[in-house]
Amino acid sequence: MHHWQKILMMAALMLSGSLYADDDHEGDHHRQPNHTRVKAPAAWQAECGSCHMAYPPGMLPPAAWKKHMDTLRQHYGSNATLDAADEKAIRDFLQLASSENRQPVPTSKPGEPPRITDTRWFQHQHDEIAPAIWKRKSVGSAANCMACHHGAAQGDFDEDSVRIPR
Amino acid sequence: MRISLVSFSVLLGVLSLPAEANPALLSHYQQQALQENPGFSGFSAARGKLLYSRQSSASGKTMSCTSCHTADPRQPGKTPAFRELAPLAPSVTPTRFTDLKKVEKWFRRNCDDVYQRSCTAQEKGDFVSWILSVK
Repeated sequence: MHHWQKILMMAALMLSGSLYADDDHEGDHHRQPNHTRVKAPAAWQAECGSCHMAYPPGMLPPAAWKKHMDTLRQHYGSNATLDAADEKAIRDFLQLASSENRQPVPTSKPGEPPRITDTRWFQHQHDEIAPAIWKRKSVGSAANCMACHHGAAQGDFDEDSVRIPR
Repeated sequence: MRISLVSFSVLLGVLSLPAEANPALLSHYQQQALQENPGFSGFSAARGKLLYSRQSSASGKTMSCTSCHTADPRQPGKTPAFRELAPLAPSVTPTRFTDLKKVEKWFRRNCDDVYQRSCTAQEKGDFVSWILSVK
């Protein structure tokens, strides 16, 4: 193969890469929006990752993230307010990076913005997990992605590397 | 006269801080404390220590700074949302208490979480005085 052919092929492969990984191959309905090519501002990891792991923006639809950003004063029992510049950068990033997520917005109530774990996608992905597993001390709750997905904080949710702790 | 004495004692305090800590922090809180209370008579590490472990039920559940940062600030902590926290004491984590903006952010959030109010400059200065002294 000529050098230029290799370059063309690589370019084609890069272009064909899906924005979303599809780890259960059941069609668009449950496509896993782990990955985004939108570059995250430094504030996203620093701020959204300071009390919990920075959950991937593609896991909720844009309207759900808007609700989060509009209610940071009461964020699941914590004050998660940001300064104006960081707030704007993170708000813009979340909207852009989640734009392909067309799931319905999970229901929420004051102080509890829409949860990733309440999306149809999440529940479908985890429908084989018995309720008792979520309650294990080693897991804590469904919000603790890293308990089973050890690369979660780095955006790696590969099903083959899942290890459910005892 | 009182103000100059306070300034002098704060200056002494600043000189004895570890090199990593931001000396502007305590003078910042001292200026604010003087504005809040003209009778301000200096910060107390002992009061700062009490603030760290004081239990509050203001939020509806009993908590304190130690709920996440543990009773010993030299130890790593953990949030209810499963995030490991580097030890709070700058003697163990030298980047702690170096950035006024960051310190203010966490007082803003955490005083609200634990006490459902803002902390005063007196409380912040007391706390910073104590945490900088933890070896």
